[in-house]
Amino acid sequence: MLTFPAITDRFKRYLFALKLVSLLLLINLMPTPALAVASVHNTGISKVTEGTQKQKISGVITDAETKQPLVGVSVANLSTNGQKFGTVTDLNGKFSLDVADVNSTLVITYIGYEKQEIKPGTSTFLSIELKPVTTSLNEVVVIGYGKTRRGDLTSAQTTVTSKDLERTVNTTVEQALQGRAAGVYVTQNSGQPGGGISINIRGVSSINGSTEPLYVVDGVQIQGQSVSNNSNLSWLNTADIESVSVLQGPSATAIYGSRATNGVVLITTKSGKAGDTKLTYDVQYNIQEPPKSLHVMNLREYGSMVNQFKTVAGGTIPGQFLDPTLLGNGTDWQHELFKATPMIKHQLSMSGGNDKTTYFMSGEYMNQDGVALGSGFKRYGFRLKVDNKPREWATIGANLSFNQTDQNITTSQGDVISNALQLSPQVPVKNFDGTWAGGDTTNGANTFAPVNPIAISSLTTNTNTNRQFLGGLNISLKLMKGLTFTTSLNGNIGYTNSTYYQPTYSIGWAKVVTATLNNGTGMNTYWNLNQMLQYYKQIGKHTFDLMVGHESQESKWKNVGASRTGFLTNDIYDLNAGDPLTSNNTGGSGPWAMESYLGRLSYNYNDRYLLMSTLRRDGSANFGDNNKWGYFPSLSFAWRLSKEKFFNVPFVSDLKLRFETGTTGNSGGGGIYSPMGTGATPNGTGFLPNKYANPDYKWENTKTDNIGLNVAFLKNRISVEFDYYVKKTTNLIMDALLPWYMGTNGTGSVSPPTVNLGAMQNKGWSLTINTTNVVTKDFKWESNFNLSSVKTTITKFYSNVSFANRTSWWMDNWTQRAQVGSAPWLFRGYIADGLFQTVDEINKSAVPVDNAGNRLPTDAATGVWVGDVKFKDISGPNGVPDGKIDSYDETNIGNPWPKMYGGFTNSFSYKGFELSVLITATLGNDIYNYIARVNSNPNNINLSRNLLIGAMDYARPITDAQGQVVLANPNTTVARISYGPNGNYTRITDKWVEDGSFVRIKNISFSYNLPANLISKLKMIKGVRLAVGVQNIATITGYKGYDPEVGSYVGNNTSANTQAIGVDNGRYPLTPIYTFNLGVNF
Amino acid sequence: MKMKNLNRKYFWLGMLLPFVFMLGCSKSFLQRPPTDSIVDANFYKTDAQVLAATQLLYSKVWFDYNDKASYNLGDFRSGTAYDAYNNRGNVLFNTTGDTPENGTAWRSFFIVVGQSNLAIININKYAGAEVSPQVKKVAIAEARFMRALAYRFLVMNWGPVPIITNNQALFADTSLTRNTEKSVWKFIVNEMKAVEADLPNTPIKPGRITKWSAQGMLARFYLTRSGVGANGSGQRNQSDLDSAKYYSQSVINNSGAALLKNYSDLFLFPYDNNAESLFSLQWVYSGPNDWGTQNSTPAYLAYSSEIANGDGWGGNIGATWWMISQYDGMTSIGKGDTIIGRTVDTRLKATFMLPGASYPEITQALNSGVVQKLIYPNSTSDVSFVCTKKYITGKAIDVGGQSSSQRYGNDTYMMRLAEMYLIYVEATLGNNASTTDATAYTYFNKVHMRSGLPEYRLSSTGTLLPITLDVIYKERFIEFAMEGMGWYDLVTLHYFNKAKAYAILNSQDRGLFTAKPDVFPNPTQWTFIKTAWSTTGRTINAYDGNFLLPIPTAELSQAPNLLKPAVDY
Repeated sequence: MLTFPAITDRFKRYLFALKLVSLLLLINLMPTPALAVASVHNTGISKVTEGTQKQKISGVITDAETKQPLVGVSVANLSTNGQKFGTVTDLNGKFSLDVADVNSTLVITYIGYEKQEIKPGTSTFLSIELKPVTTSLNEVVVIGYGKTRRGDLTSAQTTVTSKDLERTVNTTVEQALQGRAAGVYVTQNSGQPGGGISINIRGVSSINGSTEPLYVVDGVQIQGQSVSNNSNLSWLNTADIESVSVLQGPSATAIYGSRATNGVVLITTKSGKAGDTKLTYDVQYNIQEPPKSLHVMNLREYGSMVNQFKTVAGGTIPGQFLDPTLLGNGTDWQHELFKATPMIKHQLSMSGGNDKTTYFMSGEYMNQDGVALGSGFKRYGFRLKVDNKPREWATIGANLSFNQTDQNITTSQGDVISNALQLSPQVPVKNFDGTWAGGDTTNGANTFAPVNPIAISSLTTNTNTNRQFLGGLNISLKLMKGLTFTTSLNGNIGYTNSTYYQPTYSIGWAKVVTATLNNGTGMNTYWNLNQMLQYYKQIGKHTFDLMVGHESQESKWKNVGASRTGFLTNDIYDLNAGDPLTSNNTGGSGPWAMESYLGRLSYNYNDRYLLMSTLRRDGSANFGDNNKWGYFPSLSFAWRLSKEKFFNVPFVSDLKLRFETGTTGNSGGGGIYSPMGTGATPNGTGFLPNKYANPDYKWENTKTDNIGLNVAFLKNRISVEFDYYVKKTTNLIMDALLPWYMGTNGTGSVSPPTVNLGAMQNKGWSLTINTTNVVTKDFKWESNFNLSSVKTTITKFYSNVSFANRTSWWMDNWTQRAQVGSAPWLFRGYIADGLFQTVDEINKSAVPVDNAGNRLPTDAATGVWVGDVKFKDISGPNGVPDGKIDSYDETNIGNPWPKMYGGFTNSFSYKGFELSVLITATLGNDIYNYIARVNSNPNNINLSRNLLIGAMDYARPITDAQGQVVLANPNTTVARISYGPNGNYTRITDKWVEDGSFVRIKNISFSYNLPANLISKLKMIKGVRLAVGVQNIATITGYKGYDPEVGSYVGNNTSANTQAIGVDNGRYPLTPIYTFNLGVNF
Repeated sequence: MKMKNLNRKYFWLGMLLPFVFMLGCSKSFLQRPPTDSIVDANFYKTDAQVLAATQLLYSKVWFDYNDKASYNLGDFRSGTAYDAYNNRGNVLFNTTGDTPENGTAWRSFFIVVGQSNLAIININKYAGAEVSPQVKKVAIAEARFMRALAYRFLVMNWGPVPIITNNQALFADTSLTRNTEKSVWKFIVNEMKAVEADLPNTPIKPGRITKWSAQGMLARFYLTRSGVGANGSGQRNQSDLDSAKYYSQSVINNSGAALLKNYSDLFLFPYDNNAESLFSLQWVYSGPNDWGTQNSTPAYLAYSSEIANGDGWGGNIGATWWMISQYDGMTSIGKGDTIIGRTVDTRLKATFMLPGASYPEITQALNSGVVQKLIYPNSTSDVSFVCTKKYITGKAIDVGGQSSSQRYGNDTYMMRLAEMYLIYVEATLGNNASTTDATAYTYFNKVHMRSGLPEYRLSSTGTLLPITLDVIYKERFIEFAMEGMGWYDLVTLHYFNKAKAYAILNSQDRGLFTAKPDVFPNPTQWTFIKTAWSTTGRTINAYDGNFLLPIPTAELSQAPNLLKPAVDY
């Protein structure tokens, strides 16, 4: 309903848009000479036959490489007297045109191909071959809400094309970006098929919020989520992707305003091309290898260790371990868990069309079994894209995609990998009678053994199914020369279903007597309605490109969860099979909405000076009335020096300097309301406020300054792109950091209010070098090298709180800290300064204290003893070392962020052969090897835990001939067996902080296109491509765990606010994959 | 041609512009209140809503305390029970700033404070004309009651703590300092007195607090506070003792509460809100997914999944050697490393499980597949445990299907009438070495004799047995073992007699032992033998430096203002 005040109020809000439109009108109505001849559109179809010396010319235009006719190529002719004629090629690539005079020039342009100018002279039939664009400057690249030539870019952005993507085996598109784009740090948080991936573009710009970029897939905006077993785009078939543009510079991202602080990844899917229908079938078969085993103890070593432990700590040695030499190897749990597994992918696509309509259609089936039992990923996808041009002034496009993914996450959610590393080799996988075996109740410490991980991953069902429908409709109307109105409606409907069935079992001591099924369903709906006016105007050497637009978006989600227990068989995973009296359910829903006005003006003077300015105004439902709207402007400028007259350096073919500045934002996740949470009580539903409301918090702002340089040498054989940037984020939106006494921490608490908490800064640079090293007639060698570095610093907290902690209670309260002056989430702990070698050394050193602050005694049983860890005395209450080891001596012991990361691709092609090698590298980050920490603790033998072999060399204090207590093995680094108050194994120390740097041969692929003369005998087949490849074949690293690419912890117990970064607690490793690929064109 | 072009241009612009302008969204497009919960400003509008807003102050806000901290602090630290392999810091009286239960307890009590404060503020702010003054008054009184009780736990565990009555006012203020123990006690006693006047004589809904709950708390608070001025060694304040006596007498006479006939019935499902309860946490079982409104403690104390629901992780938690020795009939023999005996005190069987003891109300699923009524198993090892019975209600089948792993519906007593009798006796004893007051004997024996023990008055030779502090404390330890009380009794004692508190603690044996029945099942006598090879960690050293809990380390680093000297409130 529109009331009068509402109309006036609305009118005010439109003033902004009105001003921009008026500007556009002014430009348009300016009387200029160019306007007078404005009768043919850029890609005009109408044939103008006015003129005096008409001559008919016809011809055929083909692709220089494929020799296929090209449909819809624009052929224009400018006569000497300034008259203009034009046409386009038909379905067979043919055209015919009346030209004004024989001396005129034909200009042939086609998107994706090099422009050609031909003087027909006296010829009346021309056979023209167009070369696909190879030099990147003319390449059309996708930018926010539009397209441009790469050479016209004034902002930092990287584009990865389908050609690059095809080289690697990528389950998901995020994987494909790894090592290919400067400034983009990709870490695979889990090697689990379809598993979660983090992408950080130019550092992290949030402390507790999501640091993932905004993804825009064919106009559908998808905000990346941090913690997930799924990668954000696991549903997207990588083979459908035409190009991926990673927007990094402020001028490129600011057009997405409040959603773009973490960068924007624009994904465009393939469109049909006019011409014969192209049918492609592609099948890929992969073999995934298990990881290389970590060296843990076998049963003989284990038995001997149990023996030694009991001797030191007391207790009875179990009979079977009295003589360990009689034992076998026992169970190799890693071998049992990890297997070589297949992955298969079928892909069928069809594309084609004519000058009016083009289409692309594809279908995919992918099935990946994980190398660890209890993991897997399947995807079914279908996509259809149709573009139609019903009138010369209108185009309509439709785009539909449907996909389903099925993921098995039992391994990741059940601590299966860490249990496989920790379970005693004494426990068999199965008993003689075929039942699952486990730590028994009669055999010493085996009641503390983890539950058989093979059994757990075989028995438990933990799967997620996602179905997604993505689609859009867009209409573009040419209103007059240069002025286009576009409107699009895009939507995304997602449906998820999860099944978690915990069966009844009896495995050794572990018994589950009641089976439980949890089912969850969720539905989310998103739509985006967008209207844009675009105006393009060339006046002499001045080119203007103006866009104004309005966009509204809304999303809603709704979840339903239900469970029952008491299933009498373990075969039926449906709630109906459970006990109705145990029914239980949960709900949840939420809305979100945003409205935006946006505008962009680009100005180009003779390709020499390029200027771009954008402004976006976002209104978000996340804010209270006084802060609803935010402005996000940007300005960028590029100067192509190489176009200047004075510039005369022969070997420099292009030189462009760029400067840009702009603001992006973040609207957080809400917090202006105080919702009442519910809880069951004996007297009906009880209510408690969930959160302190704060209607006054403001937009988070990130202001970025960027300078950039593009330089190309030797006719673009070598091109270099360099960017340096400083990103300053202020008004960081996050929950207030409050002391525990504020009652905002724990069950039943009121969550802290959402506030603008602090400020942080990212400073960094990125470098990309593309070279064409060798080109001969048949052989070509090209390289891409990129390297990036970023330093993140928290610069300020607005409150008196000086740090934020992230504590993982399930890992002995392992903690990461964000504090002013350093990068977020540094590891916290003590510094282990070796082991005490003598009593004298203990007495002279700082040691831990009791509750009253008194030194622990120097004593083997109740205090500190030889063979205990010596902790470094770092500080005390007065900021100086005080001779006591207490919480003041905890410090930052590791940094999960790399100092540098990069990728190096080399491609060689010889005739139909192509070889591509991708090397990725990450340098200077730390990993906390939590598995090593736990598996090197000799005390854990008492809990039936297997250990890394190194733990057998635990410190052994003895009394020497002089009566002094010394270590029998003074060179060991493993502390003595003791539960003493020194906390050898309970304190977190830097001993397990390892350098996570690595250089990895990420991918080698070798392909062969069968020569045409060979195939021509087979009438049906037009082309055949064979390829073999290998992923993750070799990694150079000092890291001692399975795989140095650790990323964020996505296992049990974690949520976005507690997600540990850079800790390896049995992360699902990436392993080598061998690929065989066959592609056929029909 | 040109004209025509221009016309087309204006035509389109004319058509388009209004269209573009109409695409702006209405103002409500950007107003999106939550769709899955009501917001505070729209709540508290009816009597039912206001009462629903204080109902969870009886459960969820206490959850983290009840979970593990209740027995870790209340029983492990006081020496009633021990855990052989975990929670060693608390068992060995070495709770540090990093001990998990120190942090959870601290946080949980302040959650009670924060939610109570918010309830008071929101009710005052949002309750409209539809809410009756009586309901508003009672609801606010409930919140003040909870807050005062949380402060009683805070001041007794950590000494000086900051008094907070409006959390929202402190968001930007980090200058808050701790308040002295004396002023915290003054605050909570005054609060409870005000609440006592506002609460009804009968519960407004089942299980909700009454005037008598508040008077009972006043009796408890006055008894403890009587020692606060004594600085660890000195006289208890007589007027506080008189108040304790007055309020306990009032509850005994006027509340209508009565002791259950059998002690074991106090913990026999279903027992919630029985005649003896003055205030219990109101847990409820509401399915296998809900968290925070259920009683989770039984999961950690039940000795095995044999008698639990996939949980039952308390197999290494049991009565200490010292606790066993407190029961009548348990005689120490030899060099003190063997106890032999039996007891007529029914509280032992209702609190701890002795090998061979049978509990027909609990189902036991043995490894062999046999399902039977529970007979607590016998162990042949040189280490075995006298595990917890109190609050353990068994499998789902034993409670009408109303339980699952870590989720139990049985309530936790926060105060029951038996305590009033013992408070009366202790207040009567006051600063005297002993008392022979007739009412004190009567009240003492109400508690003592219910458990099957003979009257405490005359010895077998006919001499008068006086009631001393030792007698009262022993009775309290036995009566309230595994109810999280022992530690707070020691803190009460510590206020006026530090030396005695340390002496009790330091005399306890908290080490490993084994318990053997003479026959199995249906034993008539047990032998308890200290585990010979277990020589460390048998005793503790309580002293001034480790008696109270240190404020959690993490809290001190984020709130260094707590290091400043405490001030009066």
